[in-house]
Amino acid sequence: MTMLHRPESLDEACMLLAELDDAQVYGGGTAIEILRRQGILFTEDLVDVSRIPELRAVETGPDGVRAGAMVPVRRMETDPAIRRAVPLAARTYGHVANPRVRNTATVGGNVAHGDYRLDPPTALLVLDATIEARSVRGPRSLAVREFFTGFQETALEHDEVITAITVPAQPTDAVGRFVKMSSLSANDWPSASAAALLTTEDGRRTLHLGLGALAPVPVHLSLDVSGMPTERAVSEAMAAAEPLMDPIPDVRGSSDYKRRLGLVAVREAATDVCEERTHA
Amino acid sequence: MSRISLVVDGNRYVAEITDSALLLDVLREQAGATGVREGCGVGACGACTVLVDGVSVSSCLALAERYDGARITTASGLPADDEVVESFVECGATQCGYCIPGFVMMAHELLTENPEPDKEDVVRHLDGNICRCGTYAEIRRAVLAAAEKRRAR
Repeated sequence: MTMLHRPESLDEACMLLAELDDAQVYGGGTAIEILRRQGILFTEDLVDVSRIPELRAVETGPDGVRAGAMVPVRRMETDPAIRRAVPLAARTYGHVANPRVRNTATVGGNVAHGDYRLDPPTALLVLDATIEARSVRGPRSLAVREFFTGFQETALEHDEVITAITVPAQPTDAVGRFVKMSSLSANDWPSASAAALLTTEDGRRTLHLGLGALAPVPVHLSLDVSGMPTERAVSEAMAAAEPLMDPIPDVRGSSDYKRRLGLVAVREAATDVCEERTHA
Repeated sequence: MSRISLVVDGNRYVAEITDSALLLDVLREQAGATGVREGCGVGACGACTVLVDGVSVSSCLALAERYDGARITTASGLPADDEVVESFVECGATQCGYCIPGFVMMAHELLTENPEPDKEDVVRHLDGNICRCGTYAEIRRAVLAAAEKRRAR
């Protein structure tokens, strides 16, 4: 029998996660309900964190954005202050599923899902976001670049709950772009995706890339493209990204097909940021 | 088992539910809101769309208990002279009609957020709704017509 626990404070939620044998934190529930229906997730004890007010807070400032775990994905896409502070992240959040699912799906649940095909992690990786988590042992911060540890696996402990994500402000002169390639339908999981961000610091130009659906975990890489014309920077980016691609073949395409699409996504995203095209 | 109360299309319902009960089933079976339909069951088709405090939700992915006290609008509760419904009829946007309540509710959300959508805005917002009869062109026209009709009233 499913038991829905509904704590009203973080302390209470952490206690439940520590006490229950095999509890599952329940955020927006959009992924969990599908996984339960597919017979992939069997946990009976669901810890619903929707009643904890602090998990809905959003803070934006010159340093960036701190979004509580229960902030809807759609707010990341539409909130004007978030769009100004981290435009690449906001645009990437806007590619998740469809507007209705984005109303319910949450920022914390999205990364906790840990799926290698998710869109937001590609942008969070290049922007060097941090994930905050809590348990009865206290709070801790995890770099998103170290968060995805294996196929459908994250660095979270079983008794931890994500409390917030902090995304450092995108430098105002940095150009970002997210490209998603889907083989079945636009709203389906992608066969390949790439987020790119070009930053300039002390004359040094760095191209950051985040890859989705192209390996058992979302992948991050950065390369120095100082002084390179676009064509050279793009071919270096493709050459650096290719060995990191290890796509899982499925109904959306073979491994080779996804690698090809991955290279197209990298080429498009890298070209656009080098040419300062950001698109919508 | 727990007891929740819902305001569905202006009427209050008290429902006895299990912890895993879906909002979709409670609305259909206990509130008689049969305009809420199950399609894909995974949030991808939009046939089960309802508005909770004006915000679209896939009721097939929603645990009913989390909506205790919520005000829910379904297509069944729209007035007879609703601009969106009228425009869907006038534009011939309906064939079998199964998916239409979901499209109508998404259109309502869109027009509240953006009273003057262009074609692209309509496509982007209704992107997660599927019509197996394929009346997409008519649906798109209907939503634009509804926006115009609303502005004129």
